[in-house]
Amino acid sequence: MINLMIDGLDVQVEEGASLLDVAQFYGIPVPTLCHHDGLTDYGACRLCIVEIGKGKNTKLVSSCTYPAEQGLFVRTNSKRVVEARKMLVELLLAMCPSSKIIQDLASAMEVKKVRFKVEHGDCILCGLCVRMCEEQMMAKAIGFVNRGKDRKISTPFDAKSDVCRTCGGCMYICPACELRCEGPDAPGDVCGGCANVEPVCLEDENDKMCFMDPCGWCYNELGRKKEKEKKNNKL
Amino acid sequence: MKKIKNLSDLKQIKENLIKKTKKGRQLITVCGGTGCHASGCKKVIDAFKREIKNKDFKNKVEIKVTGCHGFCERGPIVVIHPKGIFYQKVQSKDVKLILSETVLADKIIDRLLYIDPLSGEKIKYEKDVPFYKGQYRIVFGKNGFIDPYKIEDYLLIGGYGSVGKALCNMSPDNIIDEIKKSELRGRGGAGFPTGFKWEFCRKAKGNKKYIICNADEGDPGAYMDRSLLEGNPHSILEGMIIGAYAIGANEGFVYIRDEYPIAVRTITNAIKQARDYGLLGKNILNSHFDFDITIIRGAGAFVCGEETALIASIEGKKGEPRQRPPFPAQKGLWNKPTNINNVETWANIPLIISKGSEWYSKIGMDNSKGTKIFSLVGKINNTGLVEVPMGITLKDMIYNIGGGMPEGKIFKAVQTGGPSGGCIPKNLLETRVDYEKLKEVGSIMGSGGMVIMDEDTCMVDFARYFLEFLQDESCGKCLSCREGTKRMSEIVIDITKGQGKEGDLELLEDLANVVKETSMCGLGQTAANPVLSTIKYFRKEYETHIFERKCPAGVCRDLYISPCQNACPAGMNVPGYISLIGEERFKEALELALDTNPFPSVCGRICNHQCQSKCRRNQIDESVAIRSLKRFIGDYKENDIEYPKIKSSKDKMPFKVAIIGAGPSGLSCAYFLARLGYKPTVFEKLSIPGGMMAVAIPEYRLPNNILQREINNIKKLGVNIRLNTQVGKDVTISQLWSQGYEAFFVAVGMYGDRSLGIPGENLENVFQAVDLLIDISLDKPIVSHVGKKVVVIGGGNSAIDAARTILRMGAREVTILYRRTRREMPAYEEEIKEAEHEGVKIYYLVAPVKINGEKGKVKSIECIKMIPGEFDMDGRQKPVPLKNSNFYLDVDTVIPAIGEFSDVTELFTGLDVETKPDGTISCNKNGATSIPGVFSGGDVVSGPNTVINAIAEGERAAVNIDQYLTKDRTRKYPWREHKKVDTFFNPEKEPVKYKMQKHSTLSSDKRFNNFDEVELCYSKSIAIKEAKRCLRCDLEIELQEKMEQEKLEKEKKANEVQL
Repeated sequence: MINLMIDGLDVQVEEGASLLDVAQFYGIPVPTLCHHDGLTDYGACRLCIVEIGKGKNTKLVSSCTYPAEQGLFVRTNSKRVVEARKMLVELLLAMCPSSKIIQDLASAMEVKKVRFKVEHGDCILCGLCVRMCEEQMMAKAIGFVNRGKDRKISTPFDAKSDVCRTCGGCMYICPACELRCEGPDAPGDVCGGCANVEPVCLEDENDKMCFMDPCGWCYNELGRKKEKEKKNNKL
Repeated sequence: MKKIKNLSDLKQIKENLIKKTKKGRQLITVCGGTGCHASGCKKVIDAFKREIKNKDFKNKVEIKVTGCHGFCERGPIVVIHPKGIFYQKVQSKDVKLILSETVLADKIIDRLLYIDPLSGEKIKYEKDVPFYKGQYRIVFGKNGFIDPYKIEDYLLIGGYGSVGKALCNMSPDNIIDEIKKSELRGRGGAGFPTGFKWEFCRKAKGNKKYIICNADEGDPGAYMDRSLLEGNPHSILEGMIIGAYAIGANEGFVYIRDEYPIAVRTITNAIKQARDYGLLGKNILNSHFDFDITIIRGAGAFVCGEETALIASIEGKKGEPRQRPPFPAQKGLWNKPTNINNVETWANIPLIISKGSEWYSKIGMDNSKGTKIFSLVGKINNTGLVEVPMGITLKDMIYNIGGGMPEGKIFKAVQTGGPSGGCIPKNLLETRVDYEKLKEVGSIMGSGGMVIMDEDTCMVDFARYFLEFLQDESCGKCLSCREGTKRMSEIVIDITKGQGKEGDLELLEDLANVVKETSMCGLGQTAANPVLSTIKYFRKEYETHIFERKCPAGVCRDLYISPCQNACPAGMNVPGYISLIGEERFKEALELALDTNPFPSVCGRICNHQCQSKCRRNQIDESVAIRSLKRFIGDYKENDIEYPKIKSSKDKMPFKVAIIGAGPSGLSCAYFLARLGYKPTVFEKLSIPGGMMAVAIPEYRLPNNILQREINNIKKLGVNIRLNTQVGKDVTISQLWSQGYEAFFVAVGMYGDRSLGIPGENLENVFQAVDLLIDISLDKPIVSHVGKKVVVIGGGNSAIDAARTILRMGAREVTILYRRTRREMPAYEEEIKEAEHEGVKIYYLVAPVKINGEKGKVKSIECIKMIPGEFDMDGRQKPVPLKNSNFYLDVDTVIPAIGEFSDVTELFTGLDVETKPDGTISCNKNGATSIPGVFSGGDVVSGPNTVINAIAEGERAAVNIDQYLTKDRTRKYPWREHKKVDTFFNPEKEPVKYKMQKHSTLSSDKRFNNFDEVELCYSKSIAIKEAKRCLRCDLEIELQEKMEQEKLEKEKKANEVQL
């Protein structure tokens, strides 16, 4: 068994578990789009980044591909993580503005506006379908083609595949086209759902989070005021 | 072939080879590296081979084709041993001569020698070439002696001796210890300590292990791995055998780019030869150690240089990185412990084993030991590969070894580490080149590419280039790298096209930081470096692109109309008025020139014409004589037509504006304000208006009547000039305030002379240059004291002006002392030439030490000779006094002219204005000082500068003052809009080649005892001829669009016909 510290919690996990597994096991919410329990981890969407290390010597890693290590110090919702995630969601949103799951993520993270040129694509290249096809359907009918900005998912030579059994596994697992958001009209706008996440209490409260969905209450102006009042009342 | 079975066989074969080498033969080595191939060494090699067969050279000379020598700029390179005679830029026609003269007759051919550009000396021997002198070539130096296709050459110089030592006398742990002690760090870029990497791999569990040589060199501008592979492949194999033995691997791979065909050939051949000799294979040197190497050719993906992607590629998968840990040392190739090192790292191993870690760790500094090969490319004189000890400063590398910028251009930045590296600006040139120091300044060591950029490089365009490269080369696996580079590139492209907007820079920085932090592999984590470092050091250039829609370097084509107009600080429509001259429409031409510059006739005489250095006609023959043409329209008009009236705004502005200083800056400000409907008042302390133009520039360069004509023109617009009124003394700013003035423009210039700081400066006949020039202009009696033997000290324009003026005043002998060389003299080239022509003597590399006097008057001056020393940040060599070289000059007058300074304390009496340490006024980007309503510009802000710069600042001040008074930032200014001219131009016509028309000058015997203008004006016919040379770059974009449209229409029509 490995002991490590995650969001101020001393936890024990089995060897071989990823940091994402740990977080999910202990009920700490970490967003992800390219992870699926039945498939190998790939680390494409970067949304599951967490901050590891102590003091000044910390770095961001994708939790789905990072193995749990003895004595590791992990923070899943630090300011640095939240700010990076917001930018990543903004990038995703610029790619596929009409995907409901991304819109929801965006509103949950309070991304208010997309500052990049919006494209109306429908694939975020998370690679779930490729892994599904290979690992679960044993077909290897689709894969990544080209690199960099030309990267896409297709069959070999874009020809009709002989090995595809049209099982639909790829479509089933796709996070982007699962649901289409009606969405707002203006390009770059976000529909602004419900949640309100500011950087949370970890920084201020000795790496202890309130074990709830990070609400950011303590970081809100209103919240801060109330906290102050509380303290004053106590005094 | 006899196999080398044990250590004694290895020694034996070396001895046999030494015996075999024929003594008394000369050896001609011809560089066959990639660089020399490009400059045509193949023909030279063929010629040598042919000639040697033809004549009776057989027993006298041998020819050897070697790998790269490093001095690629001067290729093809031929070195004749044993003397080491160094010939450069050899052509096949020179071959016969080399053989008959140098080889047979032992004569050196002068014309093929390398000339040191700094000293001008011809250099005979390879060891004396300054390019090699500053280097320490322990890894790369052997290239010049080895035929890369012959293992015997390598064995002869002791090759594979380290393998013998390591395999037979050292244990693997010993070797790893030795490497650890040597403190060798990975040369691929990240700089991980090699010894520790090996140790991890050795200690990793598993019976099968691999080692890999990473030869996937892909950085634009870097080619040292290539040259090592092509020039000395066995050193890499030797390193790999030692590494494999130390780690316990029996199989090795060389992952090499298939775009390096010669390197693939040499390394394949080297492996075959090593196998034949038994140096690869089973039981190497009877040590019971088996090892063999396989070559894997990469398909040219940049990302495959990343170790996990490289491993995936060898495994036959898509070349994509995966997240570490686990590191390759634990789970690498086919999940077995694997060690990957760069080509150069491997080539260092044999050296450490043979010479010992102690020797190695003495080279270099701090935490970076040994040497590193860099490729110096870009805007630099000595393009090539250099090997230097770690810790050398960038300055030494660029100026000492690299030889500075071509054509005397100014250094701007150096990019280290390829696309993942950053730019290092001029003020950080003292940075030492080691892993940590480069990281501190926001760049990386990388594989060792160094791209040098000069003033003509646009940093935004530079960032754009690398972002486009990276977005193509990103594997695309992780979102942050794929989308991040794409979006960064999008934003930067927008900026280069003039579509940048406020907030772009901040967004770019935020995005770059996220890409850096959240990407999976090294490519993504460093992809932001070009953007972050250029924003960090060149933020102003980005802002100029975004807010002013201007590209100062003249690179971003969408941001300027023509290169000359872009180069002109005042933004004059050069192609416009020149094409009007070409059509004899002189009046319109002058009107157009006056639109943006109130002093065309002045600038036509004394401007430093930055426009001409950017003129595209340069690429055909010579630039257009823009300055002389500008002078022509002013002068021609004078005789013929009335000075054209400048359209001024009809609305009257109710604000009172005071301008302090009637120099070029102040008067331009007044001119543009008057055109907006203001009635500004100019206060001038001297008795004539014009500032430095009137008093410091002598009559023979700028006649006063020409200047006064243009000033009168400004007066006519309603500008009031109050002479003999010194603000701060006769009237204060506060008093003017109470008189109702609402805005001030301070443009008082710099009138104080810097002192020499040597004894004897207070003697009677020591005159400061600017004081003297002013007194002469104002006809003050001081002049009569000037003697017959005059010494002027300094190298700027005022030194030359003073010297030539004094000569005209009747001095017999005028000498200029300048402490640097002619090359570094800041005065205009044509002025220096004219001065020499008139008989002014110029002593270079001489500095004054003491002025000796007698009875309070100057008697002689003691001087000392200087020698060029270390380079400073600008690439100029600091002069250092040469000991015991003092000498005396008999003189009766000394004129120091070593620069000006300003003192504005009296001017701002009672007010507290922020100044910079050098006495100049500090302003914000709108030209406003720390006092609200007071603006400043010209020399008093920028330090001594050109007239055209002062004019441009005056214009800017006028705009800023107007916006300040009207509180409207959106006001439009008619002269800022580009005015198209309706002149005819035929784009189809090829330009006829003829050089710039020379203007005639006053013959030198007529120049004494008077101040007649020296340079004469073009005649009408010559001016028209010269004007026709303009290539009309201003029409480029317009014509391109037109042609494209026509093409489309034609196609449309053709289609219609077909249908």
